[in-house]
Amino acid sequence: MKKSGLKWRSLRLLSLFLAFLLIAAAPVLNSRFHFSFVQGWYQSISVGALWFVSPLEGLESILTSRMLYAPLIVGMTIPLVIAFLLGRVFCAWVCPVSFLSEITDWCVRLLTRRKYRTSRISLPRRIFWAVLPLELCLAMTVGVPIFVFLSPPGLIGREIMMAVMFKTLAVEGVVVLAVIVMHLFTPRFFCRYLCPLGSLLGVAGSRRRLYVQLETECCMECGLCARACPLGLEPEQGDTLSAYCWNCGECVDACGAGALGFRWRAVGLDAGSLKHGPKKMDEGTLSPGPGGSKDETIN
Amino acid sequence: MKRREFLKSLPFAAAALAALETGSLAGLVSSPVHTNLLRPPGAVPEGMFASRCIRCGRCVEVCPYRSIVPGDVLSAGFNAGTPLIKVTDVPCYLCMKCVEVCPTGTLRHIAQADTRMGLAVIDRYACMTWKENSMMLCRTCYNVCPFKEKAIKLDQLRPVIVNEYCTGCGICVHGCPVTLANGKKAVNVEPVYAFRVKPVESER
Repeated sequence: MKKSGLKWRSLRLLSLFLAFLLIAAAPVLNSRFHFSFVQGWYQSISVGALWFVSPLEGLESILTSRMLYAPLIVGMTIPLVIAFLLGRVFCAWVCPVSFLSEITDWCVRLLTRRKYRTSRISLPRRIFWAVLPLELCLAMTVGVPIFVFLSPPGLIGREIMMAVMFKTLAVEGVVVLAVIVMHLFTPRFFCRYLCPLGSLLGVAGSRRRLYVQLETECCMECGLCARACPLGLEPEQGDTLSAYCWNCGECVDACGAGALGFRWRAVGLDAGSLKHGPKKMDEGTLSPGPGGSKDETIN
Repeated sequence: MKRREFLKSLPFAAAALAALETGSLAGLVSSPVHTNLLRPPGAVPEGMFASRCIRCGRCVEVCPYRSIVPGDVLSAGFNAGTPLIKVTDVPCYLCMKCVEVCPTGTLRHIAQADTRMGLAVIDRYACMTWKENSMMLCRTCYNVCPFKEKAIKLDQLRPVIVNEYCTGCGICVHGCPVTLANGKKAVNVEPVYAFRVKPVESER
């Protein structure tokens, strides 16, 4: 593989690692040193006075309690705006489930030396859009939010806290184990089909600004991108423009022909009109930014 | 005939299913709060607690005494992950840090003295000082109470709870030297306000 080809992947792994470190360090800092500047995990996290609330958890709370609480809505805004502009980047770049999946992948690679993994179990992809309304309906039927105590990203944070503070683990952690076991059968099984939070972020990011663009004239149709995609998408078919894509950049790294690259659009992405190949863009390739920020285009 | 039987049995099946469902659902959704197992300060009434709390655990994390423990799915059902204080283990020392970090307003900002996590009740048959023919003069609860002389007073050297001032923090429960066979102490905090819709003040 090209040397520069690893760039997005290493950036993403660094981001995942730092995000995991944050939630692993927060309970230690809070309980041992009473340093509460950084607090919580990816259900609600605070850095100083900047508070984030996971949009789905907040939505569930609003729907089941039928009450609006301004700080909650403010906390949900930033994640939603990020999803609106950058798509499901939380899932690929931050979520601790992604981090654990990458660790699992690394272990599997060490053991089997297989570079690519096939999906042993595949479901219709549309299930992904059904889980969000189903989950919300179920929560409203029971009258209690459900994803809040069974969400794998949140549970990882809670288990870390339980281990650090009370030297024990909660039983709900089996959900995380199940997610990892399913990941062994089909890469990112839970993230692909069942995660309501990913579904919500996907809906929010369906007209995202940041997306992976396929330059059809460069594409050699080798299929490397489809094999690299952790979600089983086919970038050659224009899947990167769909709401399923989480902008992880694996396909960009995998492409030997330089046909794939991150692009930024000033107007929201219209998945329908861009389904096949690139049309004329308002702004195509941006010149590489000075700080190596995400609007840089790397092929 | 078969179809008719089947159709006849449908309502019964539905009723049985509904009964089963409501029974198990009630068990799952019912509040885990009971004597000496309380919500943190400033909690909304128990009826809306489980629906409002997002189980983010920030109150648990910020609590410097580790008084707040998240509920378990086996013992708390759908209340799993909601904050609970078992005052016999670690009582609440009313530092009021948890109310500041709650992102959902499930724990509301509240002054220390206005906290009503419950109401301490002295079991006069178990208390060493109150028991008949007792020669002991224990006043541990009086000594440890953060609102001494307000929430607990001494009446002829015997401790008496003053309902208007008791915050239900459970420090007296934690300090009480008497432990009964059922795990209760001679003074226990009852979560009387958690299941009440009206604020306490309006009843006076």
